[in-house]
Amino acid sequence: LQLLQPKTVPKRLEASQRKPREPHIPSSLIKEIFRHFAKMPVTRDAFNIVEKCAERYFKQLCIDLEAYTHHAGKKTVEETDLEVLMRRQRLVTDKMPLNVLIERYLPLQYRKLLIPVAVAGNKVIPCK
Amino acid sequence: MAAAGGDEQQMLAQRLKAAVHYTVGCLCQEVGEDKDVQFTKQSIAAISEITFRQCEVFAKDLEMFARHAKRTTVTTEDVKLLARKSNSLLKYITQKSEELASSNMEQKEKKKKKSSAAKGKRTPGEQEAAVTENEDSNM
Repeated sequence: LQLLQPKTVPKRLEASQRKPREPHIPSSLIKEIFRHFAKMPVTRDAFNIVEKCAERYFKQLCIDLEAYTHHAGKKTVEETDLEVLMRRQRLVTDKMPLNVLIERYLPLQYRKLLIPVAVAGNKVIPCK
Repeated sequence: MAAAGGDEQQMLAQRLKAAVHYTVGCLCQEVGEDKDVQFTKQSIAAISEITFRQCEVFAKDLEMFARHAKRTTVTTEDVKLLARKSNSLLKYITQKSEELASSNMEQKEKKKKKSSAAKGKRTPGEQEAAVTENEDSNM
């Protein structure tokens, strides 16, 4: 064991040196989404700003979700916390339920995971 | 309930609006004296209308927060969550709620002492102070 330990330590250091960058959303994805909704030409500088905004958005999102989760006396973020957040952002309202937004904006494979669907044999997927 | 209650509700809304309008007028006068400006009647009316509508939004949000925490009663925690949008507002509200909590604690202790020592003489001044503080925090 004593012989093994010194070998593993430098390996870990190398691994941490290899990726010092913070995790982020690929800029190509952000570009694609923004271009899809903007429907007009967007300059490269504007895209850079959008990217920075997205980063900030996620930071704020984390802070807010933490507050809402702690508020409910939990330590794990759940779907209800996200729904409260989206209600606060006025994305989800009485006239626009969360499921409608999911149906409208998420691809089918994600929708299947989020919205229960009745299938043959009187089964509901995913079961709650 | 729908037909008869509708009229009653309208009356209630009118009364509430009038109360909000009066308070907004007082506050505007205070601010006006402080900043040496004057508010027109229209601007005061507009502010009171905004306040009234904003209260609807606040009420819905507070209700949602309380329900999210599996409560049926809105607490100061919900109000703090409501004030999270602005940092300075959050600081102010937190400070106020702490003041309120400490004054409540004092009152409880005093009540306990009084009830244990002698049941009588309540100091009306203190109670009034506590009541006005409550009103401040509600605003």
